Amino acid sequence: MNKTKRIENTFDVVRILIAILLAYLIALIILALISDDPWNVISLFIIGPFNSKKHVGDIFTLMIPLVFTGLCMCYVYAINKFNLAGEGAVNLGGCLAACVAIALRDTAVPGWIAIILCIIVGALAGMLSTAIPAIADQVFHADVCVISLMLNYILLYFTTYILKNVIKDQGASVTASYKLGRKVKLANLIPGTQIHIGLLIALACVVFVAILFYKMPFGYKMRAVGVNPSFARYIGIPVGSTIILSQVIGGAFAGMGGSVQILGMFPRYKWESLTGYGFDGLMIAVLARKNPVLVPLSAFLIAYIRTGASLVATKTQIPPEFVSIIQGIIIVLVAAEMFLSGWKKRLIFSAAKKSLKEKEAKA
Amino acid sequence: MEALKMENITKIYPNGFVANKGITFSVQEGEIHALVGENGAGKTTLMKVLFGMEQPQEGRIYVEGKQVKITSPLDAIAKGVGMVHQHFMLVPSMTVAQNVTLGIEPRKHGLVDNEACVKMTQQLSDKYQFGLDATATVSELSVGLMQKVEILKALARGAKVLILDEPTAVLTPQETKELFEQLKLLKKSGHSVIFISHKLEEVMELCDNVTILRHGYCNGSYPISELDERKLSRLMVGRDVILKIEKPDPKPGKPVLEVKNLEKLSDEGKVVLDHISFTIREGEVLGIAGVEGNGQNYLSDCISGMQKYDGGDVLLNGKSISGRRISDIRRSGMSHIPEDRMTVGCVSTMSIMDNVMADRFDRPENMKGIFLDQQKAIAQTDALIKEFEISCDDRSEEIRLLSGGNIQKVVVAREFTSGANFVLANQPTRGVDVGTAEMIRKYLVRQVREKQIASLLISADLNEVLEVSDRLLVIRQGKIVAAFSKASMVSEDELGEYMLGIKTMTPDEMEGLL
Amino acid sequence: MSALRIGSFLYSVLRLSTPLIFAALSAAICEKAGLFNMAAESMMLWGALIGVMVNGWTGSVWLGFLGGCCAGVVTGLLIALATVKGKADLMLAQIAINLASGGGTIFMLYVVTGDKSTSAMTIKSQSLPKIALPFLKNVPIIGRMLNNQNLLTYGAILAAILLMIFIKRSRTGVHIRAVGENPNAAESVGISVSRTYFLTWAISGLLGGIGGVFMSMGYTSAFTKNMVAGRGYIGLCASSMVRGNPIGAMLCAMVFGVSDAIANQLQLTNAPVDLVMMLPYAVTIIVLIIISVIKIRTHVRKIKNKASQVV
Repeated sequence: MNKTKRIENTFDVVRILIAILLAYLIALIILALISDDPWNVISLFIIGPFNSKKHVGDIFTLMIPLVFTGLCMCYVYAINKFNLAGEGAVNLGGCLAACVAIALRDTAVPGWIAIILCIIVGALAGMLSTAIPAIADQVFHADVCVISLMLNYILLYFTTYILKNVIKDQGASVTASYKLGRKVKLANLIPGTQIHIGLLIALACVVFVAILFYKMPFGYKMRAVGVNPSFARYIGIPVGSTIILSQVIGGAFAGMGGSVQILGMFPRYKWESLTGYGFDGLMIAVLARKNPVLVPLSAFLIAYIRTGASLVATKTQIPPEFVSIIQGIIIVLVAAEMFLSGWKKRLIFSAAKKSLKEKEAKA
Repeated sequence: MEALKMENITKIYPNGFVANKGITFSVQEGEIHALVGENGAGKTTLMKVLFGMEQPQEGRIYVEGKQVKITSPLDAIAKGVGMVHQHFMLVPSMTVAQNVTLGIEPRKHGLVDNEACVKMTQQLSDKYQFGLDATATVSELSVGLMQKVEILKALARGAKVLILDEPTAVLTPQETKELFEQLKLLKKSGHSVIFISHKLEEVMELCDNVTILRHGYCNGSYPISELDERKLSRLMVGRDVILKIEKPDPKPGKPVLEVKNLEKLSDEGKVVLDHISFTIREGEVLGIAGVEGNGQNYLSDCISGMQKYDGGDVLLNGKSISGRRISDIRRSGMSHIPEDRMTVGCVSTMSIMDNVMADRFDRPENMKGIFLDQQKAIAQTDALIKEFEISCDDRSEEIRLLSGGNIQKVVVAREFTSGANFVLANQPTRGVDVGTAEMIRKYLVRQVREKQIASLLISADLNEVLEVSDRLLVIRQGKIVAAFSKASMVSEDELGEYMLGIKTMTPDEMEGLL
Repeated sequence: MSALRIGSFLYSVLRLSTPLIFAALSAAICEKAGLFNMAAESMMLWGALIGVMVNGWTGSVWLGFLGGCCAGVVTGLLIALATVKGKADLMLAQIAINLASGGGTIFMLYVVTGDKSTSAMTIKSQSLPKIALPFLKNVPIIGRMLNNQNLLTYGAILAAILLMIFIKRSRTGVHIRAVGENPNAAESVGISVSRTYFLTWAISGLLGGIGGVFMSMGYTSAFTKNMVAGRGYIGLCASSMVRGNPIGAMLCAMVFGVSDAIANQLQLTNAPVDLVMMLPYAVTIIVLIIISVIKIRTHVRKIKNKASQVV
């Protein structure tokens, strides 16, 4: 591999790590400052997620929806359109999957067919969610980001409407849907944890997306459109439809994420707010540098941070939202080209000087 | 008195390109001084140096006899040098007065004193008889008036020396005439004007002295009275290196590309292609020569399907390309080397392999079922890297890390092996090193002869069009103004006269040659 | 409907429009500088929280107001720092800031009060005063509509007018517009583009911050988590309808205020609450699409006109 490229690659990884460390450091300082028992809180935050089988299980369980939304945002980010409807797609996917589950609960339809139907409906719901901003953007040139953010509120209120008016179990003590039924519950994978087969589905999706990205024509088209649309047009790639299609496919994963999460984790549907998985997905895609293969890794990282935060929250009352500060800092630092760029230039420059000297020595 | 002198200016760009070499020229107070030369002769670079946009490696600049150092445009403005760029630096939604006074607005009670702005601008406009309405909005003005606003901007900042970069390129003949009157008036009031142009009759009409640049060197300064158009053209155009490409006589077959009465309006509504017709047959290269900006890029975009045309038609292998998708046009036999290789011709952050395979990765022969056939892609890429001697670490190297010449080789390799029977080559060797340029030209000729394909070569490089083409057309202001059946029989002097507008063929003369 | 009911409906329109107007103005100044402001959401959140906090500490509602303004400005400057100095992608940076602000305000609220959702129980904060205009008392409809509004409601209208004058007539305003339309032109006459961006973000932050202060010290009298709820984006939409003209942005924000007010009214009836809550957002999307279509049309028409003039 070329020297410059190697330096750049190494540098990118180091830069992301430094960004994460910096953000972590800031979080730790804040935690230490506000807590009466800082060492305990910090160790809970850092080591807590690994100190029992259940907690490790929690990381992997939380990873499942994050892998899905991470894949969704990989598509969106790969073509440089900030379509954030993946956030609402999780809710819509979960809600409609719950509706299907409830409708099929007392029928003779076997469990595995019901599960597949639920996930398909979730995927379709997700596709619809991201298609709306995508089309508004490509056809009408309305800003995709703003439309998708507005759409998230609409999707949220629409799903709460369905929850409260269509599938609400009047007998339940809180606002919740009817029971989804045992037959659609995704089977547990490792006893003693909550990890369910959704994890396998998620990993299968990663493999599928990786193949689509790197081994199939559509992935090639998408990457080319994302990096240089005028080249894509010149070489004969249909730019507009590629842009819409990638967002729609991405939405399918977010929707699936919602339905898998509902089927795997909850006996009833009761989401009344946005889950945040979609926004986490964007961060996962940024950290994975649009590469679907790296999505599980960065999803694991986020899941680890979040698990640590919720452990802190249960033990100390400190709200888990402080994690979003870490996330914001990481995204900004990774996105800021100038962050540590002087250092990179020096590295490349000194490498160039060295190879020049070598050449001169040879001559 | 000497208003300005540039002495021994040498400018070498970081990539090693020598744009100016030891150039010396001076401008007297109250003179209009022409700076002429072919594209790439170094005029723009020299003016960028003068206006502080580039720093020279060597040389000195004197303003009114005193040596000065100009480090930025602001610096240049402060020293009395103003420049009217080819692309206007105007704020379209603001009025003439606001544009002229931008950054130096007079104030009253802390707010911008619009009345004073208008008064100041109007006075200035009236003084030099520009006939501008200071309260008009710039976006509503014609191009000619916008240019006057630019000139006023420079004058309002106290410019004594005005640089005009090809000011007439965007003007109608009437507007040009008007501009000349105003420039003469400015001259009378003691201003100096540096007038950059390709149009010889304008230089002859307007200027007092002329400095000629060629390939980065100064080819002398002369009073206009000592020159005629022919002599000036020879000083400008002449060839230094004679590149000979051995090629057998063409055996033209059936027509491949037919352009019929092609018309195109630019977004600004200007006629940029005016009833262009020609035919290219199998086994021949048709060259189109012309000074840059005379419609070549529109022609290339219309033929390749990148832009729609407004009248006439383009037939490729007997079928109209109108309304068809680019992928479809490419499949029916088009390949296209674009002028701008970095933004159009390649994806700089993808690998050589991805770039080479860009137009063929989804063809059935390169697929294994629904998947891309990695092995085949690797084999093809490696073969092309070898054949075109692309120097790189390996096929996975990102394009942006290659040199300009090697990037162009990647583009050329892809376009020549796409299986098309028509190659549209727009400035295929611009900005690449001599060796690569020669290789690309020879390859083009060989392919055309051996595979009996057709090619359209658009180039502003006279060497190139004369050596590579079989037949030759000259384009000026969106029109074909000359046609030659044998490019090798045309002298560069003659070609220069057609390109620069000294001579024009009548339709009868071109009959049968198109 | 009686005049009284119309009057009180319009009163609530004006009241609900106030934060939208500030958000729209915050987006408008950015639009004039050629920037896309999605972060009014964050500016407002921080303005709302810090305003309440400072008010609680000092007991002065005015210092609270000032604190909220500063919080908005700091948020704006952070964006400028990331995008101008750090060269981060504008969209990505703003998404990150919005993400961090959503959680960050909740976290800070907890740190200060121990409460995670609202400051109502824990911080003693006041509202900015309402202003009585006795001379309007007997004017039908208008009197009901304009009288007794919060100080900041009048402030919003005043801000729109001041911003208009600032953009049109002040030297800095002219420079901001020049940078927005043609940064090269501005740079070529010695206007520093990056300095202008910083200034624009600061002003934008100030306006967003005031909008936030209204949310927590006018519209309600406490900070509640996620209380801005997309108002920043609605403001952005209002501003882009009129290409950043402040007065126009204010009027458009009022149109969205109407949809808010209708939604509020409908909630009192037995219409399904959640569907009603969708209304303002749905209206925003539809309006945004319509404006975009109109923009394309006029652009095409302009080109055609110019072409026909030449021919």
